[in-house]
Amino acid sequence: MKIMTCPINGPRVISEFAYGGEIRPMPDPAMATDDQWADYVFNRTGAPGVKKEWWCHTPSNTWFVAERDTERDIIQRTYLYAGDV
Amino acid sequence: MPVPETPNQWLPLEGGLIARLGVTEFLVEGPASAKLDAPSGHGVYPVLRQDTALVLRGARLNDLLLETCSVNFLALDPGARPVVLTSIVGVGATVIPGEDAGTPCYRLWCDSTYGDWFLQTLTGVAGELI
Repeated sequence: MKIMTCPINGPRVISEFAYGGEIRPMPDPAMATDDQWADYVFNRTGAPGVKKEWWCHTPSNTWFVAERDTERDIIQRTYLYAGDV
Repeated sequence: MPVPETPNQWLPLEGGLIARLGVTEFLVEGPASAKLDAPSGHGVYPVLRQDTALVLRGARLNDLLLETCSVNFLALDPGARPVVLTSIVGVGATVIPGEDAGTPCYRLWCDSTYGDWFLQTLTGVAGELI
């Protein structure tokens, strides 16, 4: 059974969580080229490694950040968004 | 109005209770005066909820919850006034565990659109425990 730790509600089974996507820096829409913008909108990297992701504890609707090693399938840490990630 | 200091705690009110569900979210249940006494100001929004509200009581209530959710309520101290937000039979629920004359007695809230199904499913599972 996989366990993830919600920063508010503590360790819970993974079925209580929903994945919200990888956190990726958004280029400035006014400054980015069409290729840069298209890359941001359409492309995702599947390369394994440590990624910062949005996750939600669905019973409490708590959104938070998880740093997850997708190569070793390990959740390294979770924390509430504090304005920068 | 008193406010629990940390998330996942509750406090009694006169004729009701206030539960802290997160950093900035509270569940207030009680008489209309509770709404009048609620904190107000910039960034504070009272939201009328019409959740299904249940009180489940029984000697084997913890067995029922062990079958239907992933939180071990036996490990909690009702005296510490815990609030648990978890998934029960797949439905997001807010739970306040307690006791009534030595018998487990829990208050539960869930989205009212799940209410009938939620209660029927719990009743069905409880029937299998007998």
